[in-house]
This record gives sequence, structure tokens and C-alpha cells, in this order.
Amino acid sequence: MTESLFLFACIGGTPIAVRADEIEAVVRLGDVVPVPLAPRHVRGLAALRSRVLTVIDMEARIFGAEGKPHPRLLAPLSLAIVAAIATHSYGFLIDSVEDICQASDGVQPLRGRIDPVWAPFVSGLVDYGGRSHLLLTLSDFATVSEGALAA
Amino acid sequence: MDEILGEFIAETLETLEALSNEVVAWEADPTDQSRLDAFFRFFHTVKGSCGFLNLPRFERLAHGAEDVLAAVRRGERIADPATVTAVLAIMDRIGALARDLGDEDETVEADDDALLNALSMPVGAIETQHQPDVPGGETERSGSTGLASPGRTRAPRTIRLPLALIDKLMNGISDMVLARNDLARKMRERGVEPDVEGSFERLSANVADLRDMISKTRMQRVDRLYASVPRMVRDLARDLGKTVSLDLDGGDVEMDREMIEMIGDPLTHIVRNALDHGIEFPADRIAAGKAETGRLSIVARQSGNQIVIEVSDDGRGIDRAALVDRAVAAGILSTANAAVMSDSEKVALIFHPGLSTAAQITQISGRGVGMDVVRANIEQIGGVIDIASTPGQGATVTMRVPLTLTIIPGLITRCGPLSFAMPRGNVMELLHENSAMVSIEEIGGARIATIRGIRHSVIELEDTLGLERGRGHCGPRTLMVIRSAAGQPYVLGVEAVDSSEELVIRPVSPVVAAVGVFVGMTLPDNGQPMLLLDAAGLARVARLPLLENERKTGVPELEADQPAESVQALLYRDRDGARRLMPLAVVDRIEGIDAMRIAMSNGRAFARIEERLLPALNIRNVETGNLQALRLHDGRDQLCFVIEEVIDIIDVPARLDVSIAAGRIAGLVMVGETQMEMIDPFALFAEVAAWQTPTPKRSGAIRCLIADVDDPWMRNILAPLLVQAGHEVSFGPIGDVAPDVVLCGEDRQLAVEGVPVLALRDVPEALADVRASSIYRYDRETLMAAISGIAPRAA
Repeated sequence: MTESLFLFACIGGTPIAVRADEIEAVVRLGDVVPVPLAPRHVRGLAALRSRVLTVIDMEARIFGAEGKPHPRLLAPLSLAIVAAIATHSYGFLIDSVEDICQASDGVQPLRGRIDPVWAPFVSGLVDYGGRSHLLLTLSDFATVSEGALAA
Repeated sequence: MDEILGEFIAETLETLEALSNEVVAWEADPTDQSRLDAFFRFFHTVKGSCGFLNLPRFERLAHGAEDVLAAVRRGERIADPATVTAVLAIMDRIGALARDLGDEDETVEADDDALLNALSMPVGAIETQHQPDVPGGETERSGSTGLASPGRTRAPRTIRLPLALIDKLMNGISDMVLARNDLARKMRERGVEPDVEGSFERLSANVADLRDMISKTRMQRVDRLYASVPRMVRDLARDLGKTVSLDLDGGDVEMDREMIEMIGDPLTHIVRNALDHGIEFPADRIAAGKAETGRLSIVARQSGNQIVIEVSDDGRGIDRAALVDRAVAAGILSTANAAVMSDSEKVALIFHPGLSTAAQITQISGRGVGMDVVRANIEQIGGVIDIASTPGQGATVTMRVPLTLTIIPGLITRCGPLSFAMPRGNVMELLHENSAMVSIEEIGGARIATIRGIRHSVIELEDTLGLERGRGHCGPRTLMVIRSAAGQPYVLGVEAVDSSEELVIRPVSPVVAAVGVFVGMTLPDNGQPMLLLDAAGLARVARLPLLENERKTGVPELEADQPAESVQALLYRDRDGARRLMPLAVVDRIEGIDAMRIAMSNGRAFARIEERLLPALNIRNVETGNLQALRLHDGRDQLCFVIEEVIDIIDVPARLDVSIAAGRIAGLVMVGETQMEMIDPFALFAEVAAWQTPTPKRSGAIRCLIADVDDPWMRNILAPLLVQAGHEVSFGPIGDVAPDVVLCGEDRQLAVEGVPVLALRDVPEALADVRASSIYRYDRETLMAAISGIAPRAA
């Protein structure tokens, strides 16, 4: 029943959920080497054993240019979700992990008027521990966003 | 059961691939019994296996084809083109079905009847069934050599391996190399006993060997790329009604399997283009004086760490004027910019999205989407694509792709705390900033390095990447002379070059690739991921003027078209020794011409350039050796302006200081301490335009009448030459439309009222009687100049 197995985490103070079958692991990253000229949400490259992860800051991607003046400094050993998308490996930064478990109610439709910056990424709500979590799809964050190039 | 089915699919597809090479040969010689047998055997085998595997559709198709071939074998039926096409259609369908079976897709069954009907139709009554290509999904058969029949001998000791397994193996080896590097680093840091080091060395050597071996398993012969070409060329040529002979060479060159796959589609597209747009219809070819059968050749060769694949045809070449017109019409290019484009830039327009020279959109190569996509595909794998074309004589597309994606030698450069790798193949030279061979100057913000007399643009890696210079670094910076795919070499300044290593390169994720300056990444010894720089991408980001003559090109520059305060002018030494200025905008190019290529006619000089005659100015009575010339362009016409030498390109005020407008001189311009004469291009073009009175010239070609119908030289040698030069040729007595000129042999002079007559003699000048009115028939320049000099009469 991977269908209803979710990772519950937190980015920028917002509780989120990700389908567990999208995820390979959650790791603490070593050094992240920046990629010059890349959009702000591409934080750099990190080695995970012999793999190289492209590190994506989901928060920066969501809030884009209107977000905070500069993304927070990358603390050493940041938490990241490791996922393989179209043969490339990525690390998606998260603040903290709550749990990986099943959501008995599955995915609920979105209620309330969501902040427009979130809208393109959220596909529903998942309930965990009495709180709603926004359901995100990791591959949405690995695409090249138009107009987001620094160069 | 699944295993047997899988085996059947793989075997069927393999045999099909091997057979596709035989198809063309069979059609050329339908009586060839051994080939016929091979096809017959294929259908027979398929039919047999299908009954056993319960695949009725296969069985029905194979059965139909087998019957027909059996009839051919018995001599009851002839293997005419229609039959061959029908049999091939069945083969294609079986291939498609087999692939679908592998993918568990379904192809519409109803079509099968149409194919079978085609088989049984009487000879000659068959419309060619055009089958769309079945997309990919092909099962990979590494290491297998599908041998063609006869006898269906199997290559011994080969096995099929799933693609994924090889990839895993490759990744495993990469990991091992990285683990070895990591261990080596730790050993260096801590120091170990000599015997441990000895063991490690041995292990290390083994790992290196293993890596080399595994790289070889990824290699495949270019033959595989070629396998489908003969069939495609045959089918296309047939559909188009053209005749084409195909040469394939270099099939034994080995390439990365992935590359072979990546290059397949671009190659197909280029071949289709060559057949559809390049090679003319047989009738047109004969009229142009070419062999009826077009020639298409594909050559693969290894050159350094690149594989070069050239596709050339002897068709009509690329129509520059049409490309430029289209680009202007599409708003990609301004007329002014079009006028100053060099020939190669015009040809390169073909890579611009949305441009195509095909007058009609055809089914074969579609509309304008094409060469831009081809280029994108080639560049995606780190390759370069180039096109060269001589109008009327064909075109050559050259693709250069790196030998392997996976392991390349690279130079590791330091950039503050970061390191980047540059492919060694891009680096021509390394120098220190303070080397005696280099002088760097800074002019108006631009930095220029002169190395052994050659000027290069200089960019700094940190500036280009938007990074800060490393503060801790002292001492001279290192300059790398970079050869890039996009054009002229440039100099890249870096803090230091640390080392040269063999790097295992992996592709970067799309978000990183979108930056445009990184083509790959690697994990070197120190365990810190490192990006591989893209030489062409850096130049693009730095907005370097990369093309000839230092002129800026590209879309951003083309947009701005305002009148400028200053204009660029070419400073040159004229033939009388004076230094003069020529507005750069009218200079198409600077070229050397052999004096032999200049012909005088009636006091006017013409230079033969690219098989055209251009009016030539500044010609002395006797010219020898190599001349330096400017090709001037007024947007429509060109002329050749001979000079002594080019000195420089400088900015001059757009407004003349003293306006003279006398002869070829427009006026005087102050340049520094001196004043110089500025040439008036208007006067030059007006001067040569006057040669061709009375206009309207160019509205039509010269109509040449060849009087001696039976003279083979006139008919076979002269006429094609004239046609090629754009003239019209007719034979025999004067028809309804009066010709502009009559050509005849010296002894058969005939007078036609009001029409000039050109008499051609058989002997060169030295031997002939002095008869000014005749021209030696092999004096091409004079002859062509004389004809070009005749004005067409209004019809």
C-alpha cells in the first residue's frame, strides 16, 4: 500500500507531504558546491557516496524572486530528500521530518484559498496527526522554470 | 512461454535488421537467387514460429509474402519494384508487430489486408504504401552480430545482454574508480607502509584496466548506424522519383552506444533533407550538366577525441538568397545586417528555428522545423554541427561528436574556493599572464590579448560566472586559449590550472544544464562535485563576438538598428599606396584571389569567385600572383575591390568632416592626427552598374542561342556551362523569342539581325589569326564575361 504511504516534513514552517514512492531516502548532506549562474533555488551539487545530487531548495522555488531577500544560509548537514527523477539524482532541502506513515484518509481536495505562490505545486491535502499537510510532487521542482534563470 | 516469445521477437527483429541491408541489393538484381532465398527463409521461419506461438496475424502476413516469393522462385512471377515494395511493406509490418508484442501495444489489424492485397495485385498496378516509421522501443542487442544470410550462420559466442545490466556495470566501475581515488587521497594524507602502497598500486591498475574494458563494451561500430540508411534512401528516392547512389564509408569506426542512438535521428533527418531538398530530379540534373543519378555519401572517421560524420550530396546546394529573404521576412534579420553577413553566416541561417529553403513543404522532411532541432540534438551530446555548401554543387553536413560521453581528459582550474573542469580538447594552449608571448591591452572595456601576433578576446572565468576573485591568490593568472565550437578561439583567464585528469563525466540535471555553461559534472579525487565547463557556452554568456571579421552577430545585436554616432570602417592601403577608409557595412568579406581568376573584357575586369563573375575594380593591366580583395555587397549585387592590404578596423564619425563626392571618394574623415579619404560605395556600385547597360539586367537570364545544333562541343560542353551560370540556352533556328546572343563556331558565322554574335574558335590566341571578334572556346573567363556583358533584351 505505497499508494497511501507519505513522508511528512516541514519546509519554511509549512507542513508538507510527499508520496513515499517518490522518495529514495532522507539524508544529511555534506558539502554543497554552488552552481554559478544557476537560479536561486538550485543550491548546488552534493556528493552522496559516488552519486552527485543536484540540491534544490523547494522553499526558494516556491517563493521565487518575491521571497526572502536571500535564501537562508545552508547549514552543514542539512536534511534533504533524495529522489531520482528522469535518471538524475536530486536532493530536496527540508527543515525537518515528522514521520513516514500511512494516511488513513488518503489525499483530500484542497480547501480554502491557497497563497498563489503555492498553487502550482500543491495537488491536495493529506491529514497527519490532526494537521493538514500540503501534498507536493518532487518532480515539479526539478523542472526548468521559465524566466527564473539568473543569467 | 514468455521466454520463447521474447526469443522470437528478438530473433525476428535481428533478422529483419540484417535483411534490410539486402533489400536494396535484391531490388537492383531481382534474379539473385541467394538473396531471394534469404527473404523466403525469413518469412518461412516467422510463419513456422507463429503457428507454434499462436500468433495468427504474423502467420497470415508471413504466409502471404512466402507465397509470392515462392512464385518468384519458381519463375512464375517477376520480382518487379512493385512486388519488392509490397514484400518490404510486409516485412515492416512484421517488425512493427514484433516490437508491439515486446511493448504489449497493438497495431490496427485492418491494415494487414491492404498489405496483403498489394501483394496479390497484378504487376505495375500498385500504389506505394507509405508506412510511417514505427517509433523506437527496439530491444537492444549488445554484442550481437546479426549476420546476413545466406546460410544464416550465427556469429559464435555472442550473447544478448539487457541494456540496464551494462549501465549498472558501468556505474559500478565508476563508483569503484571514485572509491579508489578516495582511498588514494586518504593514503596520501595519512601515509602508509610501502607494501600496502604496492598492493594498492596493483589494485589501482586493475581498476583502470577494468574501466577501459567496460568502456569498450559500450562501443559499437558505426555500421549499426548505417544499417537502416540504404533502405531509407531507397524508399525515399522511390517516393520522390529521384535516383540516388549511396556510399557508406567508415562503418568500422567505433562509437559510444549511447552516441549511436543519439545521432540516429539527426542523421536520418540530414539524409532526408539531402534527398528531398538537395538532390534534384533527374531531368533537372541533366539540364544542370550533372550525372542523372545523384550521389549521397556518408563517411565516418575518428579524429582525435571526436567522431566526425560527414553527409555530402551533389545536389543543388543551399540557396543563400532564399534563406536570407526568409530570415528577413520572418523578422529575424534586418536588411542592413543581411547585407554584411558573410557567406558562412548566411548558410548558418539554416540552423535558425523556423527557416527552411524548401519552396514547398513536403511530406519527407516536413516544414521548417528541422535543422535547428538537429543542431540542438547534436549540441546536447557535446557535439558540433557544420554545413558547407557550394551553390549548384551540393552540400556537406559535418557532425562532430565526442568519442565518449563518459570519460574525458580535463584540466582542473581553480576559481577561488571552487574548481571547474575544462575538456582538454578545447584547450589549445596554456600561458601565464606575464609570459613574454602575451600582451594584454584594455580598450573601451574590452580586453584583448595578443599572442604571437594574433588577437584574442579575453574573458575571466570569475567574471563570466559572476563569482568573486579569490583573494588569497597572488602571482600571475593563467590564460587558456580556448577553441570553441561556436567560432573563433578566445582566451579564458583563470586563477590557476591545478591538474590534468581523466574525468568520469556524468550528465548534469536539466536545471543545471539550463544555465548554459556546464555540460557535465564529475566527482574527482577530493570528493567535491565539480562542473565541466562548456567552452562555447562561456563565450555565449560573455557575449563574445566570435565570428569572422569581429563583427557582432546573433539575435540581440540584430535588434538594434538605430543610426549610430560612429560607424566602423575598414582602414586599408590602396593600390596607389594611400591609406583609405571603406565603410565596413558594405564589406562582405576580405579574401585573397589568384590573379588568374581575373579576366578582362572590353576594358572591364571580372573576377571569378565561387563560379560567378563579379565586376572587379582597381585592376591593373597585368596582374600576377595573389591579390588581396574586398568583396563589397550592396544587398543585391556584389563586386570585387582589389586593395594592397587591410590595415585595421576602426571607428570613424558617421558624418564626414569634408564632403567631396568626387569619383570614388566620398570625403575626408579625421582619424587621430591625420585625415583620410573615405570611399563612396555608392560610386563604386554605380560604376559597375553602368557596365551592364542598358538595364534591366538581372530581371532575366541571357538567352543564348546555339546555332550549331549538331556540334557536340556546343551541346555537351558549352550548354551546361551556360545553364549553370544561370543563362537560358536554346538550339537551332530562331524561334518566337529572339535570343540575346547567338553562339556559333568561327567557321559558321551567321548574321542575325539585331542580335550580337559570339564566334568561338578552336585554337588559343597565340596560334589564331588576329580576329578580335572570336573567343577561344576554352577561355572560360573571357567567354563568360562576354556573355554576362550582353544585356538581355526586353522580351
